[in-house]
Amino acid sequence: MSSSTELRTEEMLLNVGPQHPSTHGVFRLIVKIDGETITEAIPVIGYLHRGTEKLAENLNYTQIIPYTDRMDYISAMSNNYMMVHTVETMMGLEIPERAEYLRVIVLELQRVASHLLWFGTYLLDLGALSPLLYAFVDREKILAFFNELSGARLTYNYMRVGGVKWDAPEGWIEKVKEFVPYMRKQIQDYHTLVTGNEVLINRLKGIGVITQEDAINYSLSGVLLRSTGIKWDLRKDEPYSIYDRFQFEVPTETAGDCFARYKIRLREMEESLNIVEQAIEQFPKEGEIMAKVPRVLRTPQGEAFTRIEAPRGEIGCYISSNGKDKPYRIKFRRPSFANLQVLPKLVKGQNVADMVAILGSIDIVLGEVDG
Amino acid sequence: MLGFAKGMAYTFKQMTKKKVTHMYPDQEMVWPERFRGIQHFAPEKCIVCNQCARICPTGCINLIGKKSEDPNKKGKVIDTYDINFEICILCDLCTEVCPTEAIVMTTNFELAAYSRDELFKNLEWLDNNNTNVRGGNA
Amino acid sequence: MGAYIEQSLGLTNSLVFILSAAALLGIVLGFVTYSIYFQRKILGWMQLRIGPNRVGPLGLLQTVADVLKLLLKEDIIPKAADKPLFIIAPIIAFMPAFGVLAVMPFTESIHFADVGVGLLYYIALSGITVLGVVTGGWASNNKWALIGAMRSAAQMISYEIPLVMSVVGVILMTGSLNLIDIVEKQKEMGMWFFIPQFLGFIIFIIAQLAELSRTPFDLTEAESELISGYHVEYSGFRWAFFMLTEYVYIFAMASLTTVLFLGGWLPPFEFLGFIPGIIWFGLKFLAIVFFIFWLQATFPRMRVDQLMQMGWKVLLPLALLNILITAVLKTVL
Repeated sequence: MSSSTELRTEEMLLNVGPQHPSTHGVFRLIVKIDGETITEAIPVIGYLHRGTEKLAENLNYTQIIPYTDRMDYISAMSNNYMMVHTVETMMGLEIPERAEYLRVIVLELQRVASHLLWFGTYLLDLGALSPLLYAFVDREKILAFFNELSGARLTYNYMRVGGVKWDAPEGWIEKVKEFVPYMRKQIQDYHTLVTGNEVLINRLKGIGVITQEDAINYSLSGVLLRSTGIKWDLRKDEPYSIYDRFQFEVPTETAGDCFARYKIRLREMEESLNIVEQAIEQFPKEGEIMAKVPRVLRTPQGEAFTRIEAPRGEIGCYISSNGKDKPYRIKFRRPSFANLQVLPKLVKGQNVADMVAILGSIDIVLGEVDG
Repeated sequence: MLGFAKGMAYTFKQMTKKKVTHMYPDQEMVWPERFRGIQHFAPEKCIVCNQCARICPTGCINLIGKKSEDPNKKGKVIDTYDINFEICILCDLCTEVCPTEAIVMTTNFELAAYSRDELFKNLEWLDNNNTNVRGGNA
Repeated sequence: MGAYIEQSLGLTNSLVFILSAAALLGIVLGFVTYSIYFQRKILGWMQLRIGPNRVGPLGLLQTVADVLKLLLKEDIIPKAADKPLFIIAPIIAFMPAFGVLAVMPFTESIHFADVGVGLLYYIALSGITVLGVVTGGWASNNKWALIGAMRSAAQMISYEIPLVMSVVGVILMTGSLNLIDIVEKQKEMGMWFFIPQFLGFIIFIIAQLAELSRTPFDLTEAESELISGYHVEYSGFRWAFFMLTEYVYIFAMASLTTVLFLGGWLPPFEFLGFIPGIIWFGLKFLAIVFFIFWLQATFPRMRVDQLMQMGWKVLLPLALLNILITAVLKTVL
């Protein structure tokens, strides 16, 4: 060193590249670090952009449904439902009861499966190897249910405009009914294994704090919003489908840090199981699964925007139609894309290790971010 | 303070439990009835209505019909029927719209090939692919 | 062995030394092979799956296949890397790991050198590995490797101190640094050192995990954050050297724990004395290795500043307290 009294340090540009075990997909984050502290972070997205919205301009509504599966591939049922809901609202269709109940059961089971995957991968990022395997055992059970119901494990193509494609096979409802208490016990086991662990609590408490006004200014939604203390859940505040018939809580925390989001997601799993239980009790013994829809689905001229509560936040679909059977312009408001905007702000001033924890707690899926 | 001790007891107990893995390929995978694998095509049932080619979201079905050689039958019979399996997404819409159930899904899923040419399935292959065809409820 | 050392260096002597060192190396490598196998198996069982089971009967040849693959790989040295340092770093890291076994007494008769300062020799030599780690990280010319090497150096150096301090209690009670004397003292006392020195035992276990860079302190090779830390640019045989270092250290540390705190080759109860000492040594040693793997399956990773805080603010004061209490009790009793 020259005759300076202070140590001259340089900022290092680190590339948390598109290939990285913890970025949940092909996501690039350019961070400038000073020692171990991050001074700036610039996310670069677009590695998984497939042009779904443009492709959809040439396809009629039933053909778009397999494409929506592949946007947020971890909770595909929510995506299916989001698009179908918009078209049904535009056409003013009434959905039969049995189809509605099947939809609710499937959507809530999908929420549990999505949160289980988040749980497993988040803890893997933090270094605990075993909870991933335990979470995936339970997720496999849910995927087996979906496999029996729709024929696929990840890209279901299950919802149709006016109802659902398949009816529940024999014995399916009973199996789901037995699954609910088993899953409740598993969630208790996760609390025993993970939540009480001091190393984990030290890792997550006080990290990545979001304030309430930040949450509203950045249009965050879902678990991120509820972790700051704002109680907003579309299933309760703007009920869609038949959610107004079920009793469930909306878990909220006020701390706004990663640990709060962790606790909320585990409680959301329990609430979803409550909804599934109630839906199975109220399940109509027989009924149609598809409303009377014309052979060629035409939406009336105009535009519509509807939104639902997906596991990752608010997902919305905007359709602008000319009266034809193909949309003129379809746009998906994707929660991961909006939630990711807050990452540079949260990461500033934290450690490199905390960056992984914060990114994991925002819960993004690159298929959704890029679309 | 001792929260981690409970966690350690939990992992220790897991050692004695039954394993959940499936010894594939020694053990066969048993799929439910509705599982969407590659299609089976029965040419005698096809009436060349073109619905499957029109509904396919990726446009992977190509078919050509020809006039029936039997003077009593009106309409067309199928001449060539190709599915480009590189872009088929196994979405099941073609079986949904087929009026005669000429095209149905099977539960065959082991389709890996060493060359891309083998992924272009023609009529003969689809006709011969008649094991594990999905049953009546599906 | 002692007899051979006392004679002057002749042909028979050197031959005996070299062959027995080679035998120990063979045993240690066998241990490494099967400890990797058992780590994967135990982790698998704790995660409700079977570990390796295809290569060889019950998967026993899995590590052999892995090592063979590593040996056959292309030797890649990055263009801008510092070549001499890059090549020497794994060697600097490995040599102390094997060198410390020279003073390790496995039973009264099976040991190599009966050095009066056995424990000091062990601790001094194990500090050289840090040099190898930092050299490897620097010579790789890679930012990730550099961060990993810095973290690793900070971690290893700061946890050497509680490691040594926690053992001082044992030394005070024995009155000697000789490892064989320590075991003899435990035989004399009738109980193993982990009972009177319980606090020292706990601190030693935690500090040793940090020295070995194992979970929950494995942030030097945090796979999900830094993708392998200081050995990210090493592949093939050189990476095998780093892995070998880690596992030989586990062997050395587990043996040291057994000797210092768990009574070495002594049976737990007198009437079981007919079972040879080496079996007892092996059992206690395997229990410690199992404990290390069990922790790996359960814990997440600590963050680097929390690790430093724990080392300096928690473990060091507790170790000093342990020394104080031991000294006071020894004077009083």
